Amino acid sequence: MKSIQRSLSLALIATLLLVALVLVQTSLWLFESGLRRSLETDLREETEGLLIALVKGPNGDQLDVQRLNPRYQRPFSGHYFKIELPERTWRSRSLWDASPEWPERAGLADELLDGPQEQRLLGYRAEYRRDGQPIIISVAQDYTPVLESFARVRLSGLGLVGFALLALLLLQRYAMGLALRPLERARQQIAQLQQGQRQQLDQQAPVELQPLVEQINHLLSHTEDTLQRSRHALGNLGHALKTPLAVLGSLVQREELAAHPELQASLQEQLEQIQQRVSRELGRARLSVDVLPGAHFDCDAELPALFDTLAMIHRSGLDLRWQAPAGCRLPRDREDMLELLGNLLDNACKWARSRVELSIERSGDGFVLLVDDDGPGIPAAQREQVINRGVRLDESAEGHGLGLGIVSDILTAWRGEWSLEESPLGGLRVRIALPATR
Amino acid sequence: MRLLLVEDNVPLADELVASLSRNGYAIDWLADGRDAGYQGASEPYDLIILDLGLPGKPGLEVLRDWRAGGLTTPVLILTARGSWAERIDGLKAGADDYLTKPFHPEELLLRIQALLRRAHGLANQPMLQAGGLELDEARQCCRKDGQDIELTAGEFRLLRYFMLHPGQLLSKTQLTEHLYDGETERDSNVIEVHINRLRGKLGRELIETRRGQGYRFGGQP
Repeated sequence: MKSIQRSLSLALIATLLLVALVLVQTSLWLFESGLRRSLETDLREETEGLLIALVKGPNGDQLDVQRLNPRYQRPFSGHYFKIELPERTWRSRSLWDASPEWPERAGLADELLDGPQEQRLLGYRAEYRRDGQPIIISVAQDYTPVLESFARVRLSGLGLVGFALLALLLLQRYAMGLALRPLERARQQIAQLQQGQRQQLDQQAPVELQPLVEQINHLLSHTEDTLQRSRHALGNLGHALKTPLAVLGSLVQREELAAHPELQASLQEQLEQIQQRVSRELGRARLSVDVLPGAHFDCDAELPALFDTLAMIHRSGLDLRWQAPAGCRLPRDREDMLELLGNLLDNACKWARSRVELSIERSGDGFVLLVDDDGPGIPAAQREQVINRGVRLDESAEGHGLGLGIVSDILTAWRGEWSLEESPLGGLRVRIALPATR
Repeated sequence: MRLLLVEDNVPLADELVASLSRNGYAIDWLADGRDAGYQGASEPYDLIILDLGLPGKPGLEVLRDWRAGGLTTPVLILTARGSWAERIDGLKAGADDYLTKPFHPEELLLRIQALLRRAHGLANQPMLQAGGLELDEARQCCRKDGQDIELTAGEFRLLRYFMLHPGQLLSKTQLTEHLYDGETERDSNVIEVHINRLRGKLGRELIETRRGQGYRFGGQP
């Protein structure tokens, strides 16, 4: 998953590192070239001093030690020279027995020379001509302290960059957190929406997010309205179809028709088929099929009313019980869930001798719903058939057909699974496994 | 037993009025929600059959107003809106039973019988039993000491009302109010005639006359 925070951090690190490296290196390089120019001047003046120390003596040219800087006398002092005449050569005493590779061209040497005691020397060669003879004077100065201080500067520069980077990253993380907080809030709200803990996103969003939040809210309420409208329209259609069917059902019972039992039976059968078909299709069309992400079924609020209704419709003396985890909320549409449980429990009540139980349990991410009764149950061989076709096993007790058909439709839409088992109460157990995600 | 039928579909209402009358119920029929709201609360009905999709005022609102006004008459909702969510709403509004269209006419009769017995604190048995008698409401006859006794429609209505109120003092006005619908001419002599015939068929001691007060069925005080 791509995180805005992480990609911003990466971009920041890369940019900062590049800029810092270029900056440190360039400034060091500029500084060094300036330093070398000034050292070059110093070294040239040294050669001029040496030239002056070269005097005419009684035995030809000789070096006046008095005029020499004392640092040329101290061994490995870091300052060295070599004076070449056609017939003579002087070396500074400070060189001791070392013989660096003196530069071969006039001017500052491009490369540093290897000096005694691991010293790195900056060399300079000057060529003069006096009394017709060439004089080559090479001087060198220890460059190691400069190199060392450069290394120190580079190191501390990098340390500073690292520190700045860290500080900036923390600052950026904080600023990002501040700026992205509304996004994070929206993300949390959408998560709550999916868990059915809210129906709408908060309207209080920053300007940049406002259109998104409004659009989502609009979509949600639009979907809900559409669902309500279509359910209402289906209710009206059902009313329009079922009332005439009720009239027909009553007319068929008339005495005039009782004289023609075959006709009556045939009419009744056809009416029955129309009724079943209409109920099934209207029931199926009513399903929300989870178009609303915020839909949920609150067990504690809905189950007592459902069980009161069942107790009212069925004979008294039936022991109806339910149990669910405290505060249990099933992430499914309320009406669909009522339809599912209503039909299953209605069936159980029709067949039960004295007890019907519903239990809802968590199972991993999803839920398991068990509906038990202590009625006659269904033989193992026929259970498969009941599930597959939603057939009516016993014409005399209506229910094991139509109701289970709608149950099957709902579960298909939810991608849930169901099976019929033998109940510990002695009758039938319907086991429903609902996956957590829709 | 006097019932109020609130149903806006005329053919269905005609059928129901005919079938319920055949079964010895006095029926008043209304099609408008507002009329039903008023008349249901002012007339002494034994049971109300209420459709939900009514012109004038929705059935559920009518029911809520009745219950808010303290009306305890049993109400059976008869509707095409058959989803469980709607059934639960009906119950919450104060309904006592819920039957969805289309329905078998016998189913409606059975529900009405069961609801009336429940409303009078009687157990739901296949036959109505009181004062040593068993009443077969489908065949409109009664059984005493193992013998079937045929009843006329008027006698059946009166006996059923007595058997649903065993041991209670019932005035003549109360009997006429609950045995005849709002449009029938009420003649209290008819009641006396039916009571005398019932005494003839079932024994004089079954229905006791309290002069100036009314009648009491069932022997025990």
